[in-house]
Formats: sequence, C-alpha cells, structure tokens
Amino acid sequence: MRETVYLDNNATTRVAPEVRDAMLPYLSELYGNPSSAHTFGREMRRSVEHAREQVAQLLHAADTSELVFTSCGSESDNWAIRGVLERRPDKRHVVTTRVEHEAVRNLCERLEQSGYEVTWLDVDEEGLLNVEELRAALRPDTAVVSVMLANNETGVLFPIEEIGKVVREHSEAIFHVDGVQAVGKIPIDLRGSEVDLFALSGHKFHAPKGVGALYVRAGLDLAPFLIGGGQERGRRAGTEAVPYIVALGAACELAGSFNGQEQIRRLRDKLEDAILAKIPNARLNGARDRRLRLPNTANISFEYVEGEAVLAHLDEAGVSVSTGSACNAESHVSSAVLRAMNVPYTAAQGSIRFSLGRYNTEREIDYVLSLLPDIIGRLAEMSPHEIKK
Amino acid sequence: MSYYPGRINEHFLNPRNVGEVRAEAKAVIGEAGSLACGAILRLSLEIDAERQSIADAKFKAVGCGYLVASASVLTETIKDVAVSKAAQLSESAIMDWFEEWPTERAHCAALCHEALLAALANYHQAAREEWAGDEALICTCFGVSEKRIEQAVRERSLQTVAEVTRACHAGGGCQSCHPLIVDILEDYWRTVEAESAGAES
Repeated sequence: MRETVYLDNNATTRVAPEVRDAMLPYLSELYGNPSSAHTFGREMRRSVEHAREQVAQLLHAADTSELVFTSCGSESDNWAIRGVLERRPDKRHVVTTRVEHEAVRNLCERLEQSGYEVTWLDVDEEGLLNVEELRAALRPDTAVVSVMLANNETGVLFPIEEIGKVVREHSEAIFHVDGVQAVGKIPIDLRGSEVDLFALSGHKFHAPKGVGALYVRAGLDLAPFLIGGGQERGRRAGTEAVPYIVALGAACELAGSFNGQEQIRRLRDKLEDAILAKIPNARLNGARDRRLRLPNTANISFEYVEGEAVLAHLDEAGVSVSTGSACNAESHVSSAVLRAMNVPYTAAQGSIRFSLGRYNTEREIDYVLSLLPDIIGRLAEMSPHEIKK
Repeated sequence: MSYYPGRINEHFLNPRNVGEVRAEAKAVIGEAGSLACGAILRLSLEIDAERQSIADAKFKAVGCGYLVASASVLTETIKDVAVSKAAQLSESAIMDWFEEWPTERAHCAALCHEALLAALANYHQAAREEWAGDEALICTCFGVSEKRIEQAVRERSLQTVAEVTRACHAGGGCQSCHPLIVDILEDYWRTVEAESAGAES
C-alpha cells in the first residue's frame, strides 16, 4: 500500500476525532439560533459561551468576553487592523514586518495605496526582528503595530512580550499580533502581556476550516467589521456558526491538554538534523537557535534544485510538503519571506517546508529520510550547476 | 493522482538523456534560462559532421517537471535527426507530443525550443569560425565552401538548389545562401554552354 505522510501542518491540519465528535450534534439535532429566546436557542447560546471559555483558557485571556468568533484568521487580522484605523482617523501610520502572512502584508500594501504610511521592518538572515528598529519606527501618529508571533514559512518566533512593552512605552499605538501559526503549537499567555489584539484560526490546530477568533483586549474600542444584528455583543454581526464555534472550542481544549509537543519537537529535530547532515546542498532557512522557532517547522533549501520538482517527487512517494517557490507563467514568485531574509535566489528556489503535527510518527519521519537524499541527489545530478559535495 | 498529468509525470520521474554527450565528442551546447521562472536548461549535442545529423542529445536542468519532461522528449525527438530538420522543429512540437500540456506552462516547453535553437546557432557559429579555407564560404549554416559546391555541381551535373542541398547540405539551414547557390549553378551551366558552343564552332 502507498504510504501517506502529511508534513504540511502549517497549511492546515486534520480535524481531530474529538473535535468532530463535539461538533457533530450541531450538524443534526442541535440546530437552534443562539439569539432565539426558546430552549433551542438558549442551549446554543450556552454552547457558544462554553466554546468562548475554552478559547479564552487556551490563550490565558483575562476575560472570556475578550474573545470574538470570526470566520478565519484572515478575517481576524483584517478586522483588527481596519477596526483600529477606523477608530483613529487622525493616526495614519502603521508599523509591520516584511515577513507577515498575506492577510496582514497585502492588507498593509492596500493601506499604503490608499494613503496610509507603512513602515516595513526588515528581518536578518535568520528571519529575526530587531526590536530596536521597531522602537525607532514608532511615531506619535502610529495607529497600529502588527507583528506575527510565529512565521508560517520558517516557524521563526518574534518576541511579542518584549515588542508589546516597547510599543506601550514608546507610543500610543495599538498592538496587534497575528497568532494564527502559533496557537496550538506553543503556549500562549495574553493575560500579562501588552497584546491588544490577537488573531487565531481553528483549522491550524485540528478544528475544521471556516472558523477563527479575534482576541480584543477589554476596553479597546474596535470598530465592527461586519454590520448587522447584535451578535457577539455588537462586535461582529451574523448568526454564529455554532457547529464551527463548538469545534474551535473543542480544538482549544484538546490543544491545552496535549502533551505530545516534545515528541513533535524531537521528530522535527531528527528530520532537520538528518537532512542537513546527509544532503550536501541542504541549508536551513530560519533561526539556527531552535528555541527561536516553532517546535514543528523545518524550512530547508536544497540549492540548485527546483522546489516544485522536490515537492512532486515527494508527492509521488506519498509525502506532502510545501515549497516557497511557486512557478507559473506570470512570474516565479519566490517567497517574500525568504527574500526578506536575503536567502540567495538559487536556494530560495529550492525551499521546502516540513511542518509536523500531532499525528506524525517516527516511522513516517524515517520513511521521508529514506527517500529524500535520493530525490535530491537525482535532481542535483540533473542540475547544470556545479554542486560542492 | 500524480502531481503532473500522465506522460509528463512519467518523463519527469524517469527523464531520458540526462547528462552530457560523451567526452570525446565535441559537444555543442545550447543554454536557455528564464529569469521570470528561475529555470535553466543546458542541452548538449553531438553532431555527426559527415552526415550533418544529431548523433546524440543530452540535457541538464533546474526546473519544474514540465521543463524536465519537455527536455526529456526533445532530446529523444532530435536524436538521429538531420540538423536542418531539427532546426525546423516547431515551437509547439514538444507540447503537441504530450497532448495534455497546460497553457500556463507553455513557457517551460518554449525554453527547450530556445535551447535547441541556441545549440544549433552555436554549431553554425563554430563552423564559420573554424572555416580556414581560402575560398569563399557560401553556406554558413553547414560550413560549405564555394569550391565544394562547384565540385558537387560539376561531378553530379546538379541543376537545382534542392539538388545541391541533397548533395552537400549547402542551403539546408537558414536558406540565406540560396541566391548564391543559384549564381553558382547559373555560372557553371553558362560556362558549360559556352564551352560546348566553342567546341561546335
């Protein structure tokens, strides 16, 4: 039988059986509208509020009411930034980084086009941010600072505790954190932090696609994004997606009680170490100090080979990974993240992201390691470049 | 379901003719690359100068499966094919062979065609540069001199450009020398007529 190994957990994850079981009744007999006054509705209201507690608990939010359900991480990010700007029309400056997810990056590019001034913070070759540069970028008219917690491509972590303090101390800016790639992978503690807004997405940690949340610090005045009924205390209109909200709650509880993170880390380390040791043209993208990265992500470039070719060979063998190099007729869009890190073109072209999850086993990692040197070897042999062995 | 469509996937997984032509052969190299998509292709051809045909074709590439598959099929297609015929290979020939080539990847196959034309141009360039003879070079594509064409015309009583091309390859490439070949034919036959008229009188 063909082996299937899923190593693309930063793209999306499998819905956990526990999560599916929790949401199933809401796809059949539990169909009420949480806004309804009758028993059906009240029961739904209770379920939604229970889920809110589960999410608040995972994030260590001070108050359950600080969480608002959304449809996805991108909605949360968009709402956070636009909601702040709408309330602060006098402040026209935004600070963010060059390596944000498109939900923030492309939004900020649009803001730039519509007259906002955006400061794009650079990262170094390991993908790390210079907090001093961030401090220097802050201005009296800075409305919002938006920084991700964990990078989706490299897994590099930004020091949001430290950044939050700097933002608070040196500006009146609101601090938004895109936490989509971090939740469920590392512990989050918002209570003592200076984070004002925090976005998360359910499908990145075993809830289904179609649900996210935004943490809005108590007392923060955020303009609503969706206007309509008074759902979510007037902050986000639209009938609550109860089955998905229940699933998100269940996924948060599951993540909170998960004790396999060390196993994931161990397997990632094993995969990464072996690839870098066995394959001569392999180089790591991202912080060499693994404490500065998510425990599940290894982004590795195979110099002088094309990422798509590596991906296709692995796919043929049943292994799912992703590449930072997307090839199409219009352009060869090499990853903006790797470009910001000054990864040489010949390496960025062959970048592969391995992202592990709770269902990966040691046997799967061994299987990948048994295939990869041969695949890379064959492609490197085909390459007209001289490759140092 | 495979990553690439059927035959493309098959050639991607098992590419034919990867590498360089044998070391003893004077390799004719043709390279093409795309800054837009980062692909690089290096064709290496062994050309049989006597037969004016491609004795062997190999490739090396950095690129996606479409590039690898098209290079694989291109090298298969042009082996044992006359240089003049290879030069006439259409840009879409390789894509047509695969039958299910996505249009958004047409540039991958085009890159192969470009490398082939570059190799043949290099071959003709080298033929011109190596030309050490005193007599005028008429067909630069195949390095055929005026003297050799005249000899062929005389020995075989050739009448047309097509016959000249068949006899000594001259005029089989870019065809820019056809008027010159016509001149040579006309000169020869005028001389023959004059001589025979002189013999009669």
